[in-house]
Amino acid sequence: MALALRTAQADYTLNLMKGVTKVSNDIYDLHMLILWICVFIGVGVFGTMFYSIYHHRKSKGHQAAQFHENTTVEIIWTIIPTLILIGMAIPATKTLLELDDVQDSEMSIKVTGWQWKWEYEYLDNGIHFFSSLDEASNKARQVGSGIDPRSVPNYLLNVDKPLVIPTKKKIRFLFTAADVIHSWWIPDLGWKKDAIPGFINEAWTSVDKAGTYRGQCTELCGKDHGFMPIVVIAMDQPDYDVWVKKAQEESKKGADLSDQSHDDLVTKGATVYAKNCSTCHLPDGKGVPGAFPAITGSAVIKGDINTQVNLVLNGKGGMPAFGKMLKADELSQVITYTRNALGNSVGDEIQPKAVQDLLPKTSSAPAAKVAPEKPEPIADMSKDELVNLGKSVYASNCASCHQAEGQGMSPMFPALTGSVVVKGDINAQVDLMLNGKGMMPSFGHALKATDFAAVVTYTRNSLGNSVNDAVQPSVIQKLQLALPAEQDDDE
Amino acid sequence: MSAVVDEHDDHHHDDHAHGPEKGLLRWIITTNHKDIGTLYLFFALAMFFVGGIMAMIIRAELFEPGMQFVEPKFFNSMTTMHALVMVFGAVMPAFVGLANWMIPMMIGAPDMALPRMNNMSFWVLVAGVLLLASTLFMEGGAPAGGWTLYPPLVLQTGKALPFAVFSVHLLGISSIMGAINIIATIFNMRAPGMTLMKMPLFVWTWLITAFLLIAVMPVFAGAVTMLLTDRFFGTSFFDAAGGGDPVLYQHIFWFFGHPEVYIMILPTFGVASTIIPVFARKPLFGYSSMVYATASIAFLSFIVWAHHMFTVGMPMAGELYFMYATMLIAIPTGVKVFNWTATMWKGAMTFEAPMLFSIAFVVLFTIGGFTGLMMAVAPTDFQYHDTYFIVAHFHYTLVPASVFILMAAGYYWLPKWTGNMYNEKIGQLHFWLSVVSVNILFFPQHFLGLAGMPRRIPDYAVQFADWNMISSIGGFIFGASQLLFLYIVIDTIRGGTGEKVTDEVWEDAHKHGLEWTLPSPPPYHTFTTPPEVIPTEHI
Repeated sequence: MALALRTAQADYTLNLMKGVTKVSNDIYDLHMLILWICVFIGVGVFGTMFYSIYHHRKSKGHQAAQFHENTTVEIIWTIIPTLILIGMAIPATKTLLELDDVQDSEMSIKVTGWQWKWEYEYLDNGIHFFSSLDEASNKARQVGSGIDPRSVPNYLLNVDKPLVIPTKKKIRFLFTAADVIHSWWIPDLGWKKDAIPGFINEAWTSVDKAGTYRGQCTELCGKDHGFMPIVVIAMDQPDYDVWVKKAQEESKKGADLSDQSHDDLVTKGATVYAKNCSTCHLPDGKGVPGAFPAITGSAVIKGDINTQVNLVLNGKGGMPAFGKMLKADELSQVITYTRNALGNSVGDEIQPKAVQDLLPKTSSAPAAKVAPEKPEPIADMSKDELVNLGKSVYASNCASCHQAEGQGMSPMFPALTGSVVVKGDINAQVDLMLNGKGMMPSFGHALKATDFAAVVTYTRNSLGNSVNDAVQPSVIQKLQLALPAEQDDDE
Repeated sequence: MSAVVDEHDDHHHDDHAHGPEKGLLRWIITTNHKDIGTLYLFFALAMFFVGGIMAMIIRAELFEPGMQFVEPKFFNSMTTMHALVMVFGAVMPAFVGLANWMIPMMIGAPDMALPRMNNMSFWVLVAGVLLLASTLFMEGGAPAGGWTLYPPLVLQTGKALPFAVFSVHLLGISSIMGAINIIATIFNMRAPGMTLMKMPLFVWTWLITAFLLIAVMPVFAGAVTMLLTDRFFGTSFFDAAGGGDPVLYQHIFWFFGHPEVYIMILPTFGVASTIIPVFARKPLFGYSSMVYATASIAFLSFIVWAHHMFTVGMPMAGELYFMYATMLIAIPTGVKVFNWTATMWKGAMTFEAPMLFSIAFVVLFTIGGFTGLMMAVAPTDFQYHDTYFIVAHFHYTLVPASVFILMAAGYYWLPKWTGNMYNEKIGQLHFWLSVVSVNILFFPQHFLGLAGMPRRIPDYAVQFADWNMISSIGGFIFGASQLLFLYIVIDTIRGGTGEKVTDEVWEDAHKHGLEWTLPSPPPYHTFTTPPEVIPTEHI
């Protein structure tokens, strides 16, 4: 069937693939070992049974023996399988331990599962993008599309923006999800890992060979579970470096905040709608009763525009927070589109700039810059005052990772109790908190100077530490003012 | 080893022994274990076809790449409902039906210990399954989050969620009542001389299964109740934003779910251990080791649940423990397979339909066991998990295992129940069509999974097309073949081959079980006085 078109598709295999990492090869060997053990036992047991079926039949005049128990035999066929199992468990344990070792990774990528796309954040260089099913596959996979899937290259296994990684580097992946549980699987890497909302899972890989590797979401995540593939391109370091430069440029491109005419907004909004909304609310805006509300005649759309903007930006229930996914101009277009098409005619609009002001400040899109107010001088506080205030700042900003008692969560979140950073030079700690490092976010802009000083002082004099020093809010204030503007990609 | 002297009170009715009600009312208010057994079996057969139609829709959509017939969401509803209907509507009720019919007759009891509760547990089951089926017609569609009902996904279900939850409650109540009844019957109503270690293995396996049911059904009910309160009453058991944990649900679910799969397989073992000796004309090999192996499997089923969750990010110690514990299950399971083989060894075998289905069960179940062992190994499970490899695995342990054994039981006991012989030729045809097509259906799914096809997807990359088409063809043949079974059941009830069967039906069957000492068909009430001598051949 369709042999001619095979060339455009991945090679077909009957067996597990060996993959392109050491771990995936180990897993393959383990798989083959157990498979052959099973085949060996199977041949023995079924051989005996079929011999018996052939020879010990009444039609051949065989007389039934009447034996019916033998303790020795029972003991033998309990002990031998036990020994075989132990023989299997030893290599299995070795491979499992190897898989779990995320130490000494050279870079980290955070992977977030969404219904139904993947978000990738390179924690070391700030590259950040969403990756979803490519357009050709998406068109062909609609019910009754009339497009032959065999004519689409890499049907359902292709994305608009693949994940790019360097070869021969140990890469740590951090998995989480925004809505429901997903699972990230590239068979060539040898494992899959669940992406669970509210939790972070870890895994690692080190790819030997440059190439394109394809996989899919493997945890049922709703109607388009079958349509959120994963593509990883492994590049040798020089090629990868070139890609990083380009991707960083790309990430810096912000939204186009210039005003647009009403008709422009509606026209462009149709494209945004088709790509992001029509899967659930359907291309004609009729929705699916009981699951996805209709856009046509919706009370939200006919009501105050701010309510709708708020809903689109921040999500609600099954509706994802599109404020995190789309740029301000796309958001204003799609909102205007829904209010003036699909059977609605509210007649109003929202401009990109207005949407931009509502987006969370941490968005990678440039925020409308507000000139920093001239800071009020802050009065000094005693160490005890700072520690008292720091306690509540710690609870709401730090405890979720470093834990309430400062014991951290090994191996991802270091303990503060007895931490060398906390016990060391106070300036080093302030610097770490201002700028962040790895998973640690930069708190430079997130906290007020007073709160910042308080929480630093708190960690050094509580949670089992007693360095007995303090930092004053006024010092922090100066450092904060010296920080680069919040949106470092705003040029 | 003897014939039973039983007076069968049907010739001198007194006030206590009366026949069935006349008309339809008989089936609604009956407290007779045979009538209730019949109700369970017919209900299960009907649900087998309902779940089967859903499977046909699934295989039709997967026949070719591209979306041809159904929307993805409806496809997900079909996989979800197919599983729930087959598990709770077909396989479990069918075994309860067999238990109702056979346990009293096998242990020399006049009826089940709690006949009124018996009636109630059947009708609660019907209510539960109908409620579940009604969700198909609700706004937002039937549950589409998989039969495991994992949050947060399942909380996106439309109007159907509370109905599905309540239906699980009803099914749980029904199962627990049935289990209590079986335990009470076995412990209290055995004929004199029928010690525990003389009970037929079918009775033993059901006794153990009943304890599993009582232990785990409330756990499932609790889990779905937490889903209900999370959705409607603002709790956050499974919502990380409120301090909960979605993985907690998976732990609770599989603490129920793993014993649940053994609830469907242990009685299967019991029936196989009953049928194989009769057609090998030899006693069962290793009776006591069979009992101990069943009990070991039941015990292990409680301590291995997280092998369904190797990819959720458990601590290393957890992964290692659940891997080792799961591998242990291979030992008692192996003992059972070796014992069945030894039972056949040097027998004088004949191959009527019940024996054919039983042999196919031993072979194909073992294949399902092998893939189970492969998946027990956590590192390789990172590849197999949630692919078609596991779909192949559990269908091998359910369809050519539990379902084949239910067919075997049907052929084996139908002549006893009806007094008529089934048409052996059509039975043989049914067997050969089923055994060939079930392998065409499920064996290629091993290849699909290993090659990288995830489960629960309505459409797939084109390199998976060939094996999917072959699998679907196997599915259609298998589905159609089961109509032969329906025909045989109806035909046998209406007279079958016209040949009146003897009390023992199968050659020397009276040595293997008390039921073969009764007339065929047995009178409405049997063993109103306990039999004095019991067969000991199976020991």
